Amino acid sequence: MNEFDSESHFEKLDENLLYEVFKHADAKTLALASCVSKQWHHTAQDERLWELICTRHWSNSINCGTQQLRSVVLALGGFRRLHALYLSKTAATNPSIQARVVKGNGNKRWGKDEVNLSLSLLSIRYYEKMNSANKRQ
Amino acid sequence: MTGKSKMWEDQNDAGVDELLAVLGYKVKSSDMAEVAQKLEQLEEVMGNVREDGLSQLASETVHYNPSDLSTWLESMLSEFNPSTNFDPNPTSIGSFVDPIVNPSQSLVKLEQVYNDPFSDYDLKAIPGKAILSPNMLVSTNTNNNNNNNSSSNSLISTTTSCSSSREAKRLKACNYGTTTPISTNTSTATTPTSSKLTNTRPVVLVDSQENGIRLVHTLMACAEAIEQQNLGLAEALVKQIGFFAASQVGSMRKVATYFAEALARRVYKLSPGVGYDDNLSDVLQMHFYETCPYLKFAHFTANQAILEAFSGKSKVHVIDFSMKQGMQWPALMQALALRPEGPPAFRLTGIGPPAADNTDKLQEVGWKLAQFADSIQIQFEYRGFVANSLTDLESTLLDLRPESEVVAVNSVFELHKLLAKAGSMEKVMGLIKEIKPVIVTVVEQEANHNGAAFLDRFNESLHYYSTLFDSLESCVDNQDKMMSEVYLGRQICNVVACEGVDRVERHETLAQWRRRFGSAGFSPVHIGSNAFKQASMLLDFFAGGDGYGVEENDGCLMLGWHTRPLIATSAWQLANTNNPNSNSCSRSL
Repeated sequence: MNEFDSESHFEKLDENLLYEVFKHADAKTLALASCVSKQWHHTAQDERLWELICTRHWSNSINCGTQQLRSVVLALGGFRRLHALYLSKTAATNPSIQARVVKGNGNKRWGKDEVNLSLSLLSIRYYEKMNSANKRQ
Repeated sequence: MTGKSKMWEDQNDAGVDELLAVLGYKVKSSDMAEVAQKLEQLEEVMGNVREDGLSQLASETVHYNPSDLSTWLESMLSEFNPSTNFDPNPTSIGSFVDPIVNPSQSLVKLEQVYNDPFSDYDLKAIPGKAILSPNMLVSTNTNNNNNNNSSSNSLISTTTSCSSSREAKRLKACNYGTTTPISTNTSTATTPTSSKLTNTRPVVLVDSQENGIRLVHTLMACAEAIEQQNLGLAEALVKQIGFFAASQVGSMRKVATYFAEALARRVYKLSPGVGYDDNLSDVLQMHFYETCPYLKFAHFTANQAILEAFSGKSKVHVIDFSMKQGMQWPALMQALALRPEGPPAFRLTGIGPPAADNTDKLQEVGWKLAQFADSIQIQFEYRGFVANSLTDLESTLLDLRPESEVVAVNSVFELHKLLAKAGSMEKVMGLIKEIKPVIVTVVEQEANHNGAAFLDRFNESLHYYSTLFDSLESCVDNQDKMMSEVYLGRQICNVVACEGVDRVERHETLAQWRRRFGSAGFSPVHIGSNAFKQASMLLDFFAGGDGYGVEENDGCLMLGWHTRPLIATSAWQLANTNNPNSNSCSRSL
């Protein structure tokens, strides 16, 4: 592997490549990847990647349009938070919702209840954070 | 002059144990076993106290001639016994380890009784763990305690034994001696009156389970004394409760302390003095919201019912009788925003009591919710109504728009308060009917704390709040836990110490609410399986202990701790409505 060039066009290329590679990663890989370097961190935090991770496995669980979902979730804190704080934990605490390994990724499938619960909790969290920020109003 | 220096002076008695003498204690070798035993008992009590942070007891306790260990221990232990002098002065309530009532009173009282105070001394130096003296306590009802939740000395199973020996409420508590075995059958107990509170030998009770039973007996005996207007006895028993409560740990201790305070207030006719809707109550409820799943469960299940009722409607209006901080609504708004058919126009009317500090809390909450709605691009309209009582509301004030809007009425832990005044419930039911909602969601405590007889209410609430406090024990954050306990403690105080219009915590069971709604012209709406699943998942997610459980009860959902349901969510619609939701099971978002 080449050492980093300081030339900007090369770094940009790297990022796009990284993004394309990361698209195929599962949540755990992505989280680990974000610890490698600043550039990797920046790329791995991209909401589009986390949106893919969240929605990849819930196609039957949510009936609304992609854009509709995206605008609401991004407003309330984003897919990365949705996954980290809630989705990942619902699967973990519900062994009855069996983890179906998808193409060796080890991702779990989330049912509509997990999704709805996670979304609700995300919105409550957002509202609570709003509360403390607005204390002085 | 500290206690320590005095100790070092008195070292020249004959026949004393040498090792202890080096430390400055005079203990006759013949007394050693007994002294050891007492030390262990004392250690246990002090240890219990310290765990709960009542450090003032450990560090400020007054000691009497500690060098003569045997006598000193006796005097220490006898401090825990009830005084035979009653003074009707309410400050005497504080003579026992009672964190709520002024703890410094205990020191004052002790000094009155004994005349040679020593300064504080660090009891950590005393080694050993408490053992149970074989003579002292007979394990009788411990078989009842085997069902206990291992994490606490719960009152759940002990109350079953209590109800069977109901006729035998009189205590033998005061006649303990190390040589007198306690009779297993409390029905042969003698009636203690103030003059009989003498002790053959003062002891400290250390066996939690036994004392747990006695504690319950004392609580109930006190309640019975109050019901029979025997206030002298009640007063004596209140002090006993403090005594027993001190020997307990965990939830039982806290519950007993709150009930003791409430009973004391009732005996001394002290009003709780707390404004029910002060700023603190909001803070307390927020902590209660965070600590345990009850309020979250309430919101989630009610929201699910409302969501289903709003399905397909383009303009919706929620009238919330329990606005508080508006925590219920963000999740509903989010769910509405993600409807496949797109969000409706959402209108919210929040009802709340006047704020003690004259701030417009309702309006502040409205602003926050408006901001939230803006973030997720949902059309939002808000109105706040300040009302001392729901009976002050008129349907004309609510700006109802029946031709374009559907309405949901929501009430979380509010309706029972209407039962304090005759006619209030009927008036509000009438109001709800005028509103013509598509759904009415009601969450209430699952308990009957509104019986006609004080004793029945007392017993019911003891059982209920014990269970509730038990469920809090799994909470990790101590401050949250404590705030939640204070929140519940206020309710306890209201149930036990108040009467008439002041007694607003008039909880009733689901069965009673069903009857009430039924006869007022409402029919039940079944809360679907979505709500059940989400509620179960919510519990897995949040609840520390494994003890929580969701139960479905003929269309209503109940959240309970172990086998005991604690809150119930129900949904209603006007009878004779052709509503396709009335028996719906699973309706997705």
